Amino acid sequence: MSKPNDFFATLAGIIVVGLVIGGLAATLQRIGNPANMGVCVACFTRDIAGALGLHRAGIVQYLRPEIPAFCLGSFLAALVFREFRPRTGSAPVIRFILGMFAMIGALIFLGCPWRAMLRLAGGDWNAILGIAGLIVGISIGVGFLRGGFNLGRSYPSRTVAGLVLPAVMFVLLILAVLYPQFGEDGRAALFRSAKGPGAASATVVASTLAGLVIGFLAQRTRFCTVGGIRDAILMRDFHLLSGVAAFLVAAFVMNVVYGQFHPGFTRGVSDAGEIINQPAAHTTHWLNFGGMILAGLSFTLAGGCPGRQVFLSGEGDGDAGLFVLGMLTGAAVAHNFMMVATQSTAPYILAIGLVLVMIIGFMGRERLAPAR
Amino acid sequence: MNTVAIILVYSTSHAIQAERVLKKAGLAAKLIPTPRQLSSDCGSAIRIDAADQEASTAALERAGVPIDRLVAIGA
Repeated sequence: MSKPNDFFATLAGIIVVGLVIGGLAATLQRIGNPANMGVCVACFTRDIAGALGLHRAGIVQYLRPEIPAFCLGSFLAALVFREFRPRTGSAPVIRFILGMFAMIGALIFLGCPWRAMLRLAGGDWNAILGIAGLIVGISIGVGFLRGGFNLGRSYPSRTVAGLVLPAVMFVLLILAVLYPQFGEDGRAALFRSAKGPGAASATVVASTLAGLVIGFLAQRTRFCTVGGIRDAILMRDFHLLSGVAAFLVAAFVMNVVYGQFHPGFTRGVSDAGEIINQPAAHTTHWLNFGGMILAGLSFTLAGGCPGRQVFLSGEGDGDAGLFVLGMLTGAAVAHNFMMVATQSTAPYILAIGLVLVMIIGFMGRERLAPAR
Repeated sequence: MNTVAIILVYSTSHAIQAERVLKKAGLAAKLIPTPRQLSSDCGSAIRIDAADQEASTAALERAGVPIDRLVAIGA
């Protein structure tokens, strides 16, 4: 093992990487990304779904370079350190469905676990409900793991199987850079928001570089928010959680430095007497809490947070790739069927999602077959 | 001289089951996050005493817990 590799395996390594990712996230917001959304795997995947025309929510359509760059950064790290291992075969369709429901839950809250931390670091106290829900969802997931839940083992596969998702991400990155128009503006892909969060972005170069660095570092360290909470609950191990804490602290400090810290459940009241919400947030506490229970449970059953799934897909894990495609589909479904935040269908799909994912949890328990 | 060994399994739930089986068999076993040096996976593994390697694999085989590989770690 080389020495830098050993460093990334240490506690200091994961803390340094958490600090770097948190600092980069706050900085991406400073240079143009949406408020409290320097990086968000759920929101950005949703924006990509919009750019491709998979949903029609006009304010969240932008082919974000960060997501493909995450995958490609991880891909490069895996190649350099000889950890690119094409593999698949661990219940791919279930992972696709879990990806969909994880995304639907995250969009009810309005953010993945990373953005939950970034919202907290920006003073959005609604994030406390989301993080509490995330912890409850992961705890339920840990209960299923203790009861024998697993999705079966994956098997080594052909190189091409591991290359598919990085290749798709490479094409997306090229499209993000060129942003071609395939027809009449507003009627054909690629779509691009004129206002709202989808219109806010750092430059393509900055987003791509930050994404590549984050992908590379996360592959080296196993940085994972859901894994961090899971390990703390399951085995009182705080290695991964230390990285998450460092991520939160760095984002908070940089937000204060940049003047991006605005504490409260809302941003006060407008001159017209209307309540101003925190950016891309709502104050319906039970939906913030419940949405993240669904997301946390889905992520735990699938074995990692959305960022982690993108990084794993970069190192050849075809099952994680299916989860990512499930998230892309889930984002489109969520917006097309009015399931986002406090929209009309959100409470119903939350209940349906929790029941369905619990059924997957119960039915996925394995009975050991002792040797006779 | 090896003092501990790590059993890598295919999922966190297998690791939990393996720990249960080994403890029941009277062996010292601890559920740990998969060491980064051994795998890029963010899952779980089992740490055992190096002296218990054979007894552990035998106990896991009897119980039907599939294992990926066993790695002895130098002191």
